Amino acid sequence: MSNNEKGKKIIVAVVGQPNVGKSTLFNILTRKHVIVANWPGVTVEKHEGWRDYKGYRIHFVDLPGIYGFSASTLEEIIARNYILSGEPDVLLVLVDSTMPERTMYLALEALEIFPKTIIVFTKSDLTHTYGIHINYRALSRILNVPVVAVSAATKTGINELLETIIKVFEGKIGRKAPLKLNYGALEPFVRDAEELIKLSKLSRQYPSRWLAVRALQGDKEILDKMKELGEKELVEKIMKIRSEIENIFKRSVEEVFAQIRFSKLAELMERVVVRAPIKSREVYVGIDRLFSHPIIGPIVSLSILLMIFAIIFTLNTGFPLNIIFYSIGYGELAEFIEEHSLGGLLEEFFEWLGGVARELLHGFPNWFVNLVVDGIIGGVGAVLVFLPLIFLVALLLALLEDSGLAPRIAMSLHSLLQRIGFSGHAIFPVMLGLGCNVPAIMASRSSPNFRERLRLIMTLAFIPCQARLVVVLGIASALSGIKGLILVVASYITAFIIFAFIGKLLYEYDRKRGYVDEPELLLEIPPLHRPLGKVVWWLTWNTVRHFIIKAGTIIFLVTMISWVMLNYSAELKPVSSISDSLGASIAKVFSPLLYPMGFTGETAWKIAYALMIGFLAKEAIIGALAILTGAESSAAAIRMLGLSEAQIVSLTMFSMLYVPCLATMAVICLESRSVKIMLTTVLIMMVIAYIASILAYVFSLIFLGS
Amino acid sequence: MRTQSWGYVPLEALPSGAKAKVVIVMAPGSWSQRLLQMGFVPGAIVEVLYNNRPGPIIVRVMNTTISLGRGIARRIFVEPIVEGETS
Repeated sequence: MSNNEKGKKIIVAVVGQPNVGKSTLFNILTRKHVIVANWPGVTVEKHEGWRDYKGYRIHFVDLPGIYGFSASTLEEIIARNYILSGEPDVLLVLVDSTMPERTMYLALEALEIFPKTIIVFTKSDLTHTYGIHINYRALSRILNVPVVAVSAATKTGINELLETIIKVFEGKIGRKAPLKLNYGALEPFVRDAEELIKLSKLSRQYPSRWLAVRALQGDKEILDKMKELGEKELVEKIMKIRSEIENIFKRSVEEVFAQIRFSKLAELMERVVVRAPIKSREVYVGIDRLFSHPIIGPIVSLSILLMIFAIIFTLNTGFPLNIIFYSIGYGELAEFIEEHSLGGLLEEFFEWLGGVARELLHGFPNWFVNLVVDGIIGGVGAVLVFLPLIFLVALLLALLEDSGLAPRIAMSLHSLLQRIGFSGHAIFPVMLGLGCNVPAIMASRSSPNFRERLRLIMTLAFIPCQARLVVVLGIASALSGIKGLILVVASYITAFIIFAFIGKLLYEYDRKRGYVDEPELLLEIPPLHRPLGKVVWWLTWNTVRHFIIKAGTIIFLVTMISWVMLNYSAELKPVSSISDSLGASIAKVFSPLLYPMGFTGETAWKIAYALMIGFLAKEAIIGALAILTGAESSAAAIRMLGLSEAQIVSLTMFSMLYVPCLATMAVICLESRSVKIMLTTVLIMMVIAYIASILAYVFSLIFLGS
Repeated sequence: MRTQSWGYVPLEALPSGAKAKVVIVMAPGSWSQRLLQMGFVPGAIVEVLYNNRPGPIIVRVMNTTISLGRGIARRIFVEPIVEGETS
């Protein structure tokens, strides 16, 4: 490692199992200096932060939460490759003081890979409550590894940890070579495999014993790398040893290794951990009983989620409270709520900003002023109006996650979700999807089953995001009173039914092809605790960040393109009337498709154009309608277009269900790593939206009249 | 794989409050890796906290609480520990 080049910089990788308090410690260690990015080539978040201490800049890299280094998940591969990359100088492995028996497993595996490791016991303030006594010094002596106990709650041990990092970096303490765990009965096999591995080019880079242990367990990453290096013969010889083990022990090699590792761990823990028997280890046992009840559990969970969304919707758009007040005759009160909703206030702000900009730009050419005010401020403003809403969804979901309620909700809704071919793991992507589909599709990674994940990726775009809520609210506001409310609720219900239906359909298809058995749940239920502000903020920011990036880049571009398309002809000459513009001529090609919904002539291409723009970003539909008609509000725009009630219903349904927005499509492609899956999703959505809107039109004609 | 002796029962069949020792995990590939990492190794003691049909089963293993779908719990074979008997 080139320490001279780095000067006084120490790179510290931080790894730990899920729920051991890694985010909390990371935040305390780095204070506010955190950078969020993605790991190269994948959409897994990478957090980095730094802290200056005693003349060093200690640079922390947070690795994904993992249970082991088996390379069976993307997160495990990322963590492992980073530790082995040679970049980190020191590795922190976090162990939960309240459950050391299980969480030490990762530490043992880490020590086999990386010698400059520090074992950090988190939540050390809780050991008393749990009746646990850990002899840290004995553990440190036995493993010859520095051990530090910290507590994020009381902030103890933080300075000691920083001191230890520096000492390990300077080589004053800590291991010089990786840990050689004695594999007992497997020892002869490990030794044979190690002799073989030493012939491989890989062993120049990585600890040979660790390579041997991993290769024996059929580690695909390592074996593939060896094959790439042209060491097929070595691989075959190792595989021979592997099948020998299987023949002797009559069970899978992975299981034998895990068993030996855990029994070594149990031996070790027996020497350093004493558990005093206490009456109730868990204070919240009653709550778990509630969530695990087959009827009460789902009811409690659904109530929590419904409540959260009722709060968010009302705060943000005034919906559904405003429409309820309208329909019972309190129009003024409804308007008040609408204007003082977060969305309303932001809208006012951007109108004001546009006015100010127009004054400031006095004297500039007209087209430039229009571009800035209508194009940039108007367009980006129309999107930033959603920011508080996305923020609230993210915040409340982060609270659920950090308090430990989230896995309990997932557990209690598992049986319900199983009926449509999903597991409890799907509930959080779905909830996030009500905010924005982009983070939702990324969150589908929480499902440990690959086929279930693909099905989620293909169906999550049916979950109505907030952008669609605003569009639907805008269009539905043209209907009077309670009819508007019914339409919005009906379109939500339709979207959910279609989500469930398509989910089930894909599941049945997968099952016919023999891909799946049952969607299964395997979820750790951490103890409930009061959420920590910083962690909640961090989780929230993660979700919101994606949205801001989207608003700042894609939607900004879309607005500009849309503005140009409406103000210039196909020959790029300025046009006097919008109907001569480039946008209009493209839209006119598609407009015949809207004839079955009764749209004809001028109206047809205008609607087609708005929907085309909506493909780039759904929320832009409303803005496009406003620009096309020159109306102030969406309700006025709909009135000026002269749409019938049946057409409003049909347009609402179509907006709700048709193609995911561009950003969602990009994320579907990235997460599924398949253009085919992305295109199939778009096709499914288009066909369903088209059929649904025609049906909606026909039914509305029958029940509402034209 | 070892032939199944009749003393073994699937974890899924145990009532709330029961304790047992893991004998063998027969879950398909990706699941078994995660199960092993979570502490479901032969010899580990599991305690069933709640087992309410048709919902998931909630167990305690290695001092952590874990919620398991029934399909997975059906593939973990255990040897029930009778109260009063030592290990």
